[in-house]
Order: sequence, then C-alpha cells, then structure tokens
Amino acid sequence: MKIIGLIIAVLTGALLIYGTVDFPGWADPASPASTHLSPHFIEKTMEETSVPNIVTAVLADYRSYDTMFETTVIFSGGVVCFILLRIFRRKEPEDRLYRHVLTGATIRVKEGGKIPPDSDDFERIDTLWTPHDLIIKTVCRLLIPFIQLFGLYVIAHGHHSPGGGFQGGVILGASIMLLAISQDLRTAVQRMREKVDALLSPTGVFIYAGTGALCLLLGLNFMDYSALASVLYVDPVTARSHGILIVEIGVGVAVMATIIWIYNNLSSAGKYDEGL
Amino acid sequence: MSEQYPALLVVVPLLSALVICVAGWVNKRLCFPIAVAALGVAAYSCIGLLLRVLDEGVIVYKLGGWDPPMGIAYYVDHLNGLVLSVVSVVALLNLIASKKSIDQEFPDKIGPFYTLYVLMVTGLLGIVVTGDAFNLYVLLEIAALTGYGLLAMGEDRAPLAALNYLYMGTIGACFYLLGVGYLYIVTGSLNMVDIAKILPSLYQSKAVLGAFIILMVGVWLKMAFFPLHAWLPNAYTYAPSAASSLIAPLVTKVMIYVMIRFILTVFTPEFAFNILAVSDSIVWLAVIAIVMGAILALAERNLKKMLTYIVIAEVGYMVGGAWLGNRAGMTGAILHIVNDALMTLCVFLVAGNIVYKLKGYAFDDLKGLYRKMPFTMTAFTVGVLSMIGVPPTCGFFSKWYLILGAIRAEHWFFMGALLFSSLVNAVLFFRIIEIAFFEPFTDHHAHGHDHQPEPIDEAPLSMVVPLWIVAAALVIVGIYTSDIVTKIIQFAIPEGIL
Repeated sequence: MKIIGLIIAVLTGALLIYGTVDFPGWADPASPASTHLSPHFIEKTMEETSVPNIVTAVLADYRSYDTMFETTVIFSGGVVCFILLRIFRRKEPEDRLYRHVLTGATIRVKEGGKIPPDSDDFERIDTLWTPHDLIIKTVCRLLIPFIQLFGLYVIAHGHHSPGGGFQGGVILGASIMLLAISQDLRTAVQRMREKVDALLSPTGVFIYAGTGALCLLLGLNFMDYSALASVLYVDPVTARSHGILIVEIGVGVAVMATIIWIYNNLSSAGKYDEGL
Repeated sequence: MSEQYPALLVVVPLLSALVICVAGWVNKRLCFPIAVAALGVAAYSCIGLLLRVLDEGVIVYKLGGWDPPMGIAYYVDHLNGLVLSVVSVVALLNLIASKKSIDQEFPDKIGPFYTLYVLMVTGLLGIVVTGDAFNLYVLLEIAALTGYGLLAMGEDRAPLAALNYLYMGTIGACFYLLGVGYLYIVTGSLNMVDIAKILPSLYQSKAVLGAFIILMVGVWLKMAFFPLHAWLPNAYTYAPSAASSLIAPLVTKVMIYVMIRFILTVFTPEFAFNILAVSDSIVWLAVIAIVMGAILALAERNLKKMLTYIVIAEVGYMVGGAWLGNRAGMTGAILHIVNDALMTLCVFLVAGNIVYKLKGYAFDDLKGLYRKMPFTMTAFTVGVLSMIGVPPTCGFFSKWYLILGAIRAEHWFFMGALLFSSLVNAVLFFRIIEIAFFEPFTDHHAHGHDHQPEPIDEAPLSMVVPLWIVAAALVIVGIYTSDIVTKIIQFAIPEGIL
C-alpha cells in the first residue's frame, strides 16, 4: 500500500508540474493575472472606496462577501471544538483542593464539606498544580497590556498599513492565551469567562454580517456599504471606507473570542480546569 | 423584496445561526423555532427565486454592488434554482423531523448543534447559488467544517470516522482550490462566466488541462466517487441520525451539482466532451462505481451502512449520466439530483426513526417492525420502491432518462450497470422487508413464551409527518416529472448538447 501511495503522490506532483509548463513567466507584467483585474484595483480603489490600502479594499470591500464567510469559518471552528470537547457533567473528584493565596497553604475539602466563602483568599487548584514562576508571571503581566494595545492598533490601521481584523484579533487573543500559559487556565477564565467567549464569537460575525444586512435594509444590495452614507452622514465613497472599519472590528472581535474559546477547550480537553 | 432573494437565502440562515448560538446560552428552547424560521425563509426565497427564473431567465445579483468580475456575483439559472429549492426544502423537512432525536441525543448541546446545522445549510445553499469559483471554495469550507463537527457527534467510533473524512475532505477541497488557482493564473479571473469567456483561446493549454483534472478529482473526492469513497460509509453510519439524514441526501448531491456546473458553465461542454477525450473513461469509472457500490451494499448486515453504499452507487449514476455527453443523460443526472436527495432523505429519516425507538439499526433489530412501527415502515416501502425504480415513484423516471442516455451514447455497460444496480436494490430491500414484515419482533430483555402480537410503538408524530410528506413527494415528483423536465431542466442544459 505504501508503494501505491508513493506512486500516486509522485503522479499527482508530476501532473501539477506538467500544468505549470504553460504558466506565464514569473512576475510577467503581461500575465493575465496582472492585466485582467489588477489594473482596475490599482487605478480605481482610492477613487471608489477611499481606502489607501488596496489589499484591504479588495479583501473587505470588493470581495467582502468571501471575507465574511472566512470569519464564519473561524466561528464554526470554535463551535465545533466546543461541541466536540466540552464536558459539562464531569465526575467531580471527591476532594477539592484550595490554596490560600497569602500563605501558600493548601487545604483539602472533603466531599460535602463547606467550600470556602467567596473571597479572593482562596483559589481552586488541581493535584498537578505547580507554583507560578515569579519572573515569567511578572514579565507577562507587564507585556500583556502592550500586546493588547498593539492588537487594537493593528485592527484600526488596516486601512493604511498591513494588518486588519484577523491579525489584530489573533494578537488580542494571544494576550489572553499568554495569561493562561504564564499562570493557569483558571486565572485566564476568571478574566474572560467561557460565556463571554461564546457570546463574543457570534457577536463579532454578527457585526460583519449585520452591517451587510443593514445595507440591504437601506435599499441597496447586500454588503453595498455606500448605503451606510445616510446613516453615517458622509458621502457614499467615504461610507465604504467606514463600512470596512466596522466589519474589521467585527472580524477582530470574532477572531479574538474564537481563538481564546478554542484554546480553552483544547488545552483543558473541555474540562476548564488548570489546562496546560 | 423579491430582487433580494439571492442574498436572503444565504444571509438569513447565517444571521440566524449566530442568533441561535447566543440563544443556546439564554434559553435552549428558543433554538429550534429560530432554526425552523430561518430555514423556512430560505426555502421560501429559493422557491420564489426558482419561479422568478422560470419567468425571467437568468438572474444576476451583485454582492456589494460591484460589477463582476471585480466583485462577487450570484448567477441563478434553471439549474441552480432547482437545486437550491431541493436543498432548502430537504434541510427544512429534516430539521423538523429530527427535533426529537436531537433532544434525545444531545440534551446539553442543543444550541451549538442547531448552530452547526443551520450553518451547514448556509454553506450548501451558498455553494449552489454562487457564480464565483473562489466564493464556492469558501462556502465549501463552511459546509465541510460544520459537517465534520456534526458527524463526529455520533457513536464512539464516529470521531475517528469523521477524522478520516476530515483528511479526505481537506485533500478534496485543496485539489479544488489548486484547480481554481491554476485557472486564475492563466485567466486572471475568478468569476465563472468570465473564466468561461476567456478559456476558449486557452483550450490547448497544459495549465487548463491540469486545472481540469485536479479540480475534478477534488470534487470527486468530496462526493465519494468510487475509488475515492472510503471515507463515506463509516462517517455516515456512526453519525447522529439528525446529521446523517441531513448530510447523506445533500452533500454528495451538491458536489454533483458543482461538477455539472463546471462542465456546463466554466469549461463548457465543448471542452469537456469534445476536446478532452475522457468522457468515455469516466463513464467506465461510473460503471465500476455503480457495480462496486451495489456489491458492497449486498455484503452489509446493517441498515445504515447498507444505505451508505447505495449512496455511493447513486453517485455513480449521476457522474455517469453527466459524462455520457448527451441531452438525455444530462437530464437524467440533474433529475436524479432532485430525486436522489428526496429518496435518500426518506430512507435515512426511516433509519432515524428506527434508531430513535430501538437504539439499533442492525438487520436483527428490524424484526417485526411493520407491526411495531407501521407508519414509518409504510414510508420506507415507498422510498424503497423509488430506489429500486418502480413507477410511479420518481426514482423510475430519472433512471429512465439515464438509460435513454446510455442507449443514445451506445454505452451498453452503463445501461447494464444501472439495471444490475436496480436488481441488487430490489434484493437488498426485499431482504429487509422480509425481515421486518415476516419475522416476529424479538424483545431482547423480556423472555416471555407467549407470543402476543406486539403493540404499536410508533415514533412521535413530529417525526412521522415530515417522513410522510417526503414519501408523498416521491410520488408527486414522479407524476410531475414531465413538467420538471420540460419547464426547468430543459433550459438548464445548453443548446449545444444534443
């Protein structure tokens, strides 16, 4: 079987290479890809959408509909991870361990015993708990706000520089994941509850698709941002630029929440305990 | 509002899926009504769109207001108008029929399940309605990803089967994307109509040939065409009933639609049938697919798995019919998309009802079932007759067109394979009917010696009524076949095919 597989793989590769024989030359200015649609985008983007970054304009305006579904793909990835991994009715261990934060003493609460009152003095831990490393914890604590600030910058500046909702959302999500890695998942989940992830993820996609639907309600085609002109009190071309910003924010929210959601489910195998 | 139907049929389910996801955290009972409303609106838009197409011809919808090929456009003609209506109606009926079994199988996760369900339908509708080759890929991803999730929710072996499907499905989607990439490099466009306009000067190009092969293989992988079918039986068998009765009727059919769309619109029949001399070998592959599907189905002793092999044989029917390269064959293939979606839905809904009541689907579990679940089994009989191809059920008519096409093309082996498969279907299903009708019901738990007649223990009304609607549809579609062919399918096939 291995040999048959190898032969098939080689044949497929050979077919793909055979197909490239008739490709236009590398970086050929006369190739169809550079002459058919690109001139329109290069010449008209600023005039039609008032967005200086052509890539953003193609991604979030000319082909905005594709991007909406790319965001939906990420969202459905989050839902699939949740539905497959999340365990709701887990057998709780008989004894729960709690750690007194100030002294570091660990107490064991027997089955049916009283759980410590809802205070910051105690934190729930698992048997595999190890103390957090002071240096890592402190450095991450210092870094996280700056990472998040940078994430916001990347989302907001998608119009002018490389970046946009996907990249910014991943950076924001990574900051929470860094918290989960440097301390533990419980700490991160306390900052950002499961329900928040699960609600923000569809909300982000909803901002995107809802903007498109709003255009439809305002009388133009789906995703025709120029319809927003009457709502935003700007001219239709500027409205396109603003529309792009709104959907980029939606993408950012959806991507951030979804990758945190996926990380939480994967790292704790759906149990939401200490995680990795 | 009717000019917005093409957008509504995708956007309403998408937005509703997001609302369902939130509603699942607030109140689980809200999820089902929202899902039904969303798919109801989608079905209404699809049928409205089909009626408009019948009046006005091809409808173009520019997303974002951009002219194609700059932006993405939807082209709705008779072919995808018909397939859209079938997909949306099948999804809606299955949703209503599956409510009880979803409640029974996933009490904790109703919200995410309905979210994935509605998203999957969104993806399938989007694949069918779009006129952009890359947009089709994006929606293919959504339909596939949600499908993996839905299938993996089943029995213990389901996650592994779904993982196999994920590997094969990802390779299939990659191949499709590579094909589109090759086409983009040589044409510079992603819009199907635009590509079709540019291609004729490039028919001799090796890149176009490479694109065609890799794209077709990708689509065949997705539809489980015979040598590439290995992922399908386990994935569909171990899946939860609600998922298998959504995915089995729709996914393979939608992928056949994609294949026909690429033959008819993108590559044009001229290139596919005349310039490439491959149609004969593909029909041969279809012959093998039909025969192997039938033989493998014979070897099974369990209802759901047997049905999955029949699905594989049916894929062979449609691929073969489309590649016969004549009008009758193509008509048969398109008509069979409609009929097979309904037939497969019918038998998988029956399997769902049986699983709901008996928790099993091996042949031994079926004993005495006609007495125990008479309404379900009556519908099953209708579905079976349609699968065998007994008039006046619709299965007869599409098979008739396929056989006509085979005769016109003088491809006697394809005709033989169709007849062989019908015979095998008859054997398969009469075996089940024999077990379910004549053998007494055996209760594994009680060992009473007195053989009292088994009381009727039918599935709930919400499962039986949609099933009966589907069974009735099999006969109604059969009776109105000539209308469907002369008013819709005839216009879906270009003049060039005789």
